[in-house]
Amino acid sequence: MTQILELHDIHTFIGQYHILQGVSFTVPVGSITALLGRNGAGKTTTLKTIMGLTPPRIGEIRFEGRRINGMRPFEIASLGIGFVPEHRAIFRDLTVEENLKIAERKKGDYVRKQEMIFSLFPDLKRLINLRGANLSGGQQQMLAIARALVADNRLLLIDEPSEGLAPVVIEGLIGAIRHLAADSTVVLVEQNFLVASQLAEYYVIIEEGRSVQSGRMQELVNDKAAIHRYLGAA
Amino acid sequence: MTTSGSSFVQRYRIALLTLLALVLLPFVIGLFEGASPFEVWSNQSGMSRFIQGLAIEIFILALYALSYDLIFGFTGLLSFGHSMFFAVGAYLTGIALKSFGLNLWQTFGILMLAALAQALLFGIVLPRVKGITFALVTLGLSSVFHIVVMSRELGDYTGADVGLQGVIIPDFISPATERLRLYFVTLTILVVFYLIYRRFVDSPLGRVCKAIRENEGRAQMLGYNTFLFKLAALILSSLTAAIAGALHTIYQPIVSPDIAGLGFTVTALLMILIGGVGTLHGALAGAAIFRLLDFGLRRYLGESASFVNGAIYVLIVLFLPYGIVGTWQLKASLSIAHMRQGWQRLLEMVGVNVERRASRE
Repeated sequence: MTQILELHDIHTFIGQYHILQGVSFTVPVGSITALLGRNGAGKTTTLKTIMGLTPPRIGEIRFEGRRINGMRPFEIASLGIGFVPEHRAIFRDLTVEENLKIAERKKGDYVRKQEMIFSLFPDLKRLINLRGANLSGGQQQMLAIARALVADNRLLLIDEPSEGLAPVVIEGLIGAIRHLAADSTVVLVEQNFLVASQLAEYYVIIEEGRSVQSGRMQELVNDKAAIHRYLGAA
Repeated sequence: MTTSGSSFVQRYRIALLTLLALVLLPFVIGLFEGASPFEVWSNQSGMSRFIQGLAIEIFILALYALSYDLIFGFTGLLSFGHSMFFAVGAYLTGIALKSFGLNLWQTFGILMLAALAQALLFGIVLPRVKGITFALVTLGLSSVFHIVVMSRELGDYTGADVGLQGVIIPDFISPATERLRLYFVTLTILVVFYLIYRRFVDSPLGRVCKAIRENEGRAQMLGYNTFLFKLAALILSSLTAAIAGALHTIYQPIVSPDIAGLGFTVTALLMILIGGVGTLHGALAGAAIFRLLDFGLRRYLGESASFVNGAIYVLIVLFLPYGIVGTWQLKASLSIAHMRQGWQRLLEMVGVNVERRASRE
């Protein structure tokens, strides 16, 4: 299967701290891959490293076969990689519509995708003129994901989408992320194993800055010992 | 009137009424003095001339405040060197007219090039420093400029610490003989720049600037080369402030070196804090309040005016943290909440523990 993203022995430092100490994995085109691991294992840093926000000191990252480490974040994003950071990183001073329009990479992106976005997140249509700061946590998360849909991203990196959300909102979110995977590849960081296992076809476990295990999600679901060892869940 | 025409009037009614009032102001003031519109037109009304002069100063300050609101209020670039943008315009205009005998259009051409150059100079440091470091670097650049204009070596051109004097202003725009014309020219320039700024901040370009102000990293993650957007805002701001500086030289008999100092950057900051940061209207209102307060207090209180002025600004910041226009735009309930918070902050400033008082009650 063709790989859209390849990470080879990535080492990332933040200041003097050696955060990623050898992360390697590949992501097949059109799949949903979950990065799993305990708090502080290096999952979010892995996404930030891919985006060029914390560039790797050693190793290689390839997107569609093209080496991207060393490129600046905006250059990486313009290749067709969308990033939905944790904590619902929307623009609080902009309205819902402005938040969506700002994600246009080509003129008319927003108009083209409007129908699809509002069918996925009908709430946003109602709130179109409201400032981001006035949305609830769930609505902000929807907006953050919707924003990543405006441009034609071939790879979406989503960090902790279900964090702090009510179960009923998470249900809707799972449906939306599944829909996303129909058009693009998704790499997901998710603490909630139940959510991750419902969504992802593939997984990568990161432990203390190293990728220690990867494969098909179905295999991990059946491997209770690995779940207990790496994720602390039974 | 068409529906779109009437909705335009409805939407901008306050702005249009203000503009109409400003157009009529010299003539209405003249009527109070018993001068006919014709006498006002031929610059014969003393009171009207005086008010025109005060208004010209406000328009120039408003233009300067607008330029600072664009880079600080909308793009989030805290510059402590903004006065340099204004001072370059002022000194260059004076030197070009006085020392080199250029005409106004040639001066304007050179001014545009200089404004572009100084924005690019600030732009050099943009990708390398952010936040307070950017503020300090820009302070350093403007301090160098301040020292240069104060230096005796360039005294023949700049007037050194005395200031630039004796600039011959072309007759058709001279504040001595054609003040009403200068009034309308300055007002027109302000309105044109206001409309350009409004268009800028409501455009996709302005939207990205607002996003940069809130979180530059997020804007980059959407694929924006934020450096280019910040540079665009700096260039427009520099051009505006330089034009404000040029108008200052045309209107004032002396260009004081004070306009190149940190104090004049603080003036810009103060004006937009009073009016409301990141609102554009706030810059205009802030400039008017700043100049009128200063004028009124100095007239009646003399030297004590600075103290009272300072106290008023502190109260405005305490009670109206979003500025006058910013607070006006908030819902009334929120405004009342801000008033209450203002009282709390004031009581805390004078050493009254609000929580302890409340618990005793």
